[in-house]
Amino acid sequence: MSTKEEEYRDIFLTEAIENFNEINRLLIVLEKNPEDIKSVHALFRITHTLKGNATGMGFEHIAELAHVLEDLFGAVREGKVIISSEMFVSVYKAADILNELIDAVKNPREVKYRGIKTKLEVMLRSALAERSQSIDETVPAASGYENAIAPELLDMLQNDDEDHIDTATKLSFSHLVQVPVQKLDNLLNLVGELVIERDRIIASGMHSASEYSRLNRISSDLQYSVMDVRLVPVDFLFNKFHRIVRDAASKEEKNVSLKLKGTETEIDRNILQVISDSLIHLVRNAIGHGIEKPEARKQSGKPEYGTVTLEASSESDIVIIAIQDDGGGIDAARIRKRAVEKGILTLADASQWSDRDIIMLIFEPGFSTMDEVTSLAGRGVGMDVVKRALDSIGGTVHIETKVGEGTTFFLRLPSSMAVKATLLFELDNETFAIPLSYTERVISVYKSDIHTVANGLITVYQGRTISLIFLNDLFRQERSSMATLERFHPEAKLEIVVVSFNGRLVGFIVDKLLQQKEIIEKPLQKPADGVSFISGVTILGNGKVCLVLSIPGILNTVNHTQHNKISL
Amino acid sequence: MYNNMRQEEERNQTNHVRYVQIVVFRLGDEEYALNIDQIKEVVITPSITRVPQKPSFIKGVANIRGNIIAMLDLEEKFGLRKTIDEHAGNNFTLVIDSAEYKMGVLVKEVPNTLSIAESSIEEITLAGDSGIEQSYIKGIVKLEKRLIIMIDIFKVLSQYEEQQVFKKQTALV
Repeated sequence: MSTKEEEYRDIFLTEAIENFNEINRLLIVLEKNPEDIKSVHALFRITHTLKGNATGMGFEHIAELAHVLEDLFGAVREGKVIISSEMFVSVYKAADILNELIDAVKNPREVKYRGIKTKLEVMLRSALAERSQSIDETVPAASGYENAIAPELLDMLQNDDEDHIDTATKLSFSHLVQVPVQKLDNLLNLVGELVIERDRIIASGMHSASEYSRLNRISSDLQYSVMDVRLVPVDFLFNKFHRIVRDAASKEEKNVSLKLKGTETEIDRNILQVISDSLIHLVRNAIGHGIEKPEARKQSGKPEYGTVTLEASSESDIVIIAIQDDGGGIDAARIRKRAVEKGILTLADASQWSDRDIIMLIFEPGFSTMDEVTSLAGRGVGMDVVKRALDSIGGTVHIETKVGEGTTFFLRLPSSMAVKATLLFELDNETFAIPLSYTERVISVYKSDIHTVANGLITVYQGRTISLIFLNDLFRQERSSMATLERFHPEAKLEIVVVSFNGRLVGFIVDKLLQQKEIIEKPLQKPADGVSFISGVTILGNGKVCLVLSIPGILNTVNHTQHNKISL
Repeated sequence: MYNNMRQEEERNQTNHVRYVQIVVFRLGDEEYALNIDQIKEVVITPSITRVPQKPSFIKGVANIRGNIIAMLDLEEKFGLRKTIDEHAGNNFTLVIDSAEYKMGVLVKEVPNTLSIAESSIEEITLAGDSGIEQSYIKGIVKLEKRLIIMIDIFKVLSQYEEQQVFKKQTALV
């Protein structure tokens, strides 16, 4: 058995043991107060979950027994059956055997469960029959359940009873511990501070760096262990999509099947949480806008059932989630038309932009190509929310689409939120960090190679045009870049960090490049929060606070001001 | 006013005076004070990293014992700065730590603490004011020749935030 499977088994067992304990607790509550409908609901839910989990893991025995209990509580819930004290005895026994079955997953052995299962089934059936009889007396009376049980089954019951007497009172412990995420967040923060402190001590240079090699190793091992604890397989989220796809498809009257791939890929739990709404939105969109109605699919020679695929894969410290549909694709021409109608683009711009850039417009707030609004999608809200969620965790999105063949959204996400690989640089005696995930390259350019175009600066590097920004001009929103450039010596060579974001290249002119560094980013807190240019801060080895640039925040602002300039 | 006086009388009658501790510091030419409960500690001002997109009274952020907090210049906020000299020795920082806000208030001199009778805080109504810029003033304490202005630091900020929201709304219109 692979370690992955073992891990899943452990998770199942932990949940199952918890379920068992909860079942016991609820049964006791219910026994004292048979009217307590809340407990019945909870019991039904728990047995249902347990059945589902067990089926998923292939533990048929547990699933079968849980299924009978589920039926029973289902009937009680609907008021068809009232559990008698006699029945309670059997239900308790069933719960105990359930526990043994769960335990048997860990310590394989044979547990007899068919007897109690059949007994419960018969009890349920006769209880249902009794009830219908009391309602409608013309139905022939069903005899008591004891009569209905074949003699050999009674034997089995007897055997079952004898078998489990000695094991019933054994308490089971899981070797998994459940921890609130809050505690993990705290732990990660502390490790972050430890790493910062380590860097500070090393930077102070009291001893040679080799003196600290052990400290270095232990603290980074600790850091990665804590990060590892926070990783969860994506199928925790992906599995919830079976239902979402089903509901969305039936609402839209479309036939859609869901495929999951790469579900064992691991990602930080908090990132999964941040993007979960976005994923739901993208999947609903794929069904609402992407997949065609069955008739339309037949006409274009596609299988009647559309397919939505959720695929996760990892690439060093990045996780890519792809949402693919084999629907109609996104028609760039339609978006272009729509953008002009809505006044987002001028006609001239629209014809100049590449299809790729045009398609990215669907992430603009208030943009929607669907003419009618459906309950699922098409209200023109959402896609910009998807983008904002991605921006907030330093992720990016790109789309591949072919009209008539389908669309794929690729989400590139950091696998861990805690550590960011960054490039440090200096500007006006202050140190800034820029995430490496956005950094394209670092170049130096002579001042004479920088050209002024319509109040902005550009340079050409390897055939590509890069617009240049002085960050401090942007931050202060006053001086013009031209005036700032004038201050440099005519023969000066300028250091430029080139970043790319959604396919655009922008260069930041910096005073001095420092080093690459893995940093632990912390969010800005009130009242210093709400700064779109800065995603967070970190503490440097010298104790000073270093701002981490938010490339999406900066470039969105830059693009907007450019838009404004053009429209003015 | 009448209520206050009555409360004072009542207190005097019961001979039970409640004292509050305040931390007094100088802003411009006046003495200001905060309730000691709002202040966690006083530290020597560490180096401050400027933060863009913030009003000028938020000087930036600084690292105080591993916490990254915003640094506030109240002289600038209240318009009390007489000289243009930027860092005219904001040597000390009052560290304020609440569930919602973590921040430092810059002051020039070592602040001192005073114990005053709660009843000696006088409510004031400023004449000729539109009423916006005074809600954070809790009252005035008169001690012999001194006049100390009590402020509620959280009100100062909530006011700033309301303005931010307002700005955003008007920007959208």
